[in-house]
Amino acid sequence: MIKHFAAASLLISATCLAIGPVKAADPGITDTEIMIGDIEPLTGPPALLGVAASLGHRIAIAEANAAGGINGRKIKYVLEDDGYVTARTIQGVKKVIDVDKVFAMLGMSGSGQSIAVMPVLEKAGIPTVIDVAPVKFLWEPPRNNVFVIGQSYEEGIIHLVNYLADRNPGKTWGLITQDDDYGITVRDGFDSVVKAKKLKVVYSGNYKKGQQDFSSDMLQLKESGAEVFLAGGIIAENIAMMKELEKLGVKPVTGIFWPGRIEPVLKLMGPAGDGIYAVDYVEPFAGAAGKAFLEKAKPLVSEAEFKRINRYTMSGYAAAKVLIAAIERCGKQPTWACTISELEKTQNVETGVMAPISFGPGVRFSNQKLQIMQADAATLSFKPVE
Amino acid sequence: MQYLLQLLISGLAIGAIYGLIAMGFAVIYKSTGLVNFAQGEMTMITAYIAWTISTTVSGNVFVVAIGAVLAAVLLGLIIERVVMRPMLGEPVFATVMVTIGLAVILRSAINFIWDAYPHGLDIGMGRGIVHLGGIGVRTGQIGVIATLLALLAAIWAFFRYSKIGVAMRAVAADDRTALLMGISAIRVHALAWAASSVIAGIGGVFFALSYDLSPAMFQLGLKAFPATILGGLDAVLGSGLGGLLIGITENLAGGYIGSDMKEITGFAMIIVVLMIRPFGIFGERDIERV
Repeated sequence: MIKHFAAASLLISATCLAIGPVKAADPGITDTEIMIGDIEPLTGPPALLGVAASLGHRIAIAEANAAGGINGRKIKYVLEDDGYVTARTIQGVKKVIDVDKVFAMLGMSGSGQSIAVMPVLEKAGIPTVIDVAPVKFLWEPPRNNVFVIGQSYEEGIIHLVNYLADRNPGKTWGLITQDDDYGITVRDGFDSVVKAKKLKVVYSGNYKKGQQDFSSDMLQLKESGAEVFLAGGIIAENIAMMKELEKLGVKPVTGIFWPGRIEPVLKLMGPAGDGIYAVDYVEPFAGAAGKAFLEKAKPLVSEAEFKRINRYTMSGYAAAKVLIAAIERCGKQPTWACTISELEKTQNVETGVMAPISFGPGVRFSNQKLQIMQADAATLSFKPVE
Repeated sequence: MQYLLQLLISGLAIGAIYGLIAMGFAVIYKSTGLVNFAQGEMTMITAYIAWTISTTVSGNVFVVAIGAVLAAVLLGLIIERVVMRPMLGEPVFATVMVTIGLAVILRSAINFIWDAYPHGLDIGMGRGIVHLGGIGVRTGQIGVIATLLALLAAIWAFFRYSKIGVAMRAVAADDRTALLMGISAIRVHALAWAASSVIAGIGGVFFALSYDLSPAMFQLGLKAFPATILGGLDAVLGSGLGGLLIGITENLAGGYIGSDMKEITGFAMIIVVLMIRPFGIFGERDIERV
């Protein structure tokens, strides 16, 4: 009997030695490592957001690794460039899931790109936290494995227009938007407030994506006599619009949206950008939270990378923190199912860069609190005003 | 009236930038028979180099101007020697595809070498606003209109009176006969690429002065292309004037019809013009004797 037991023990031991350590059921995880994938635009104009968001992910990962990793496993970060081309986003997601075999995903490029990869993510069932371009389609209807951190573009615009309307009663309004899904969302949000508050719109323009000269558009705005202006450009467009208005000698109360709320924009706008309003759900760098984040980030990135930090770095950082915390709560043997379940249980997680983050049963959207900020040309920063 | 004048002046300013880039297209086409689809990207690279000089070497206008011109010459010569010369004698389609590939590489180079942020070119001039009869204009906009007019005159004189200019026209007309006359087509091609790079680069630098630098700046090439088709792909001076025409027309369309019309006006114009004059307003009809 003892002989049989010893033989059986030897056989089991030999088998274990032959196949190596016991592996977790889901891919992307070994005894020492856990892999997180990310797809971002790292080339072309949208690299402005892609590079910054990936830096946020890297900062959170570096922070976690410095503290010993996730329950002893170091996090390995796999980043792919999609150049903001939807076909490449799909290709990239398939690559990191099927070839690199990552455990979880972050980022996911722009809104159109995130929408396009949704079927791939759903089919794979991989835990995913999207942080760059929150649009309703990503969380309505909720997908089991896909979580979105941020606030909807439409809500953002509604918040901004409501704020400006309350402070500028009876004034005339002007609006210009881009001729794409982003522009439609901005316009929809604007129109809903116009209807509710009976705002008087005297100028409504639509520009083609990539337009660089806004001389005739801003001249029309000036002629219309608009006193409050919603600049629906992204970055370079808003700069061109404000400089054109400066040239024309008019300065309406102006609001911009968070995709363009990055500090270098103010430097380029110069005095024309002073006092413009912006809406966002991440903290401004001029505030205490922003300063603390920059202090934290400085030793974790190179000098060149530090210069590329912007608001998207903060949203990326928050997403990575939430994902890492969820995996961590799964203990020594995390699985996709456990990570998704823990992401769902996320309640009031403090990241320091935005309001506390929560999800819930069937709730895959964090619905972040918005705040209004105002540009200060003297310090080239945005400061909270409410 | 002031509304119309404001639209005209703004149209002339942006049109002058289109015109300079369009002249770059035409110089290469006239000398090599090739449409360079990387023209907008070459314009952008020169502007970024000018910005680098202004931020790292000196913000002095002369230092930046000389540095940018030298860099543009070098860029044109390198592209001609490394990328285009090996394609000599190859089918036109393959050569055009090479310029498209080059465009993609140059576009991506912006983010590898610089970054995706917009930047302002500050050389102590060009950004100020002056008021002419109540119409606000940036000094850089006045500068680019004056530069285009000066270059149009200089290029006209160059092609008409200088030996090299006549040689370039000879190569464009018949490169084999020109070769028999002792003219080096290769040297003429290299000169054309360098000149094209400089002329378009000037447009890029003025754009950066009046507006800003951004990785989307290459799209100026797409706006300048209708200008060169309108003026005549083989007409350097015509392309410059075509740029002014496109700039004014799109601004008037934007100001009187609506923003939506602004971007399509240039292309609508070339459709109409090409139906009437397939070789452009100032282009030469290609006569083939059989």
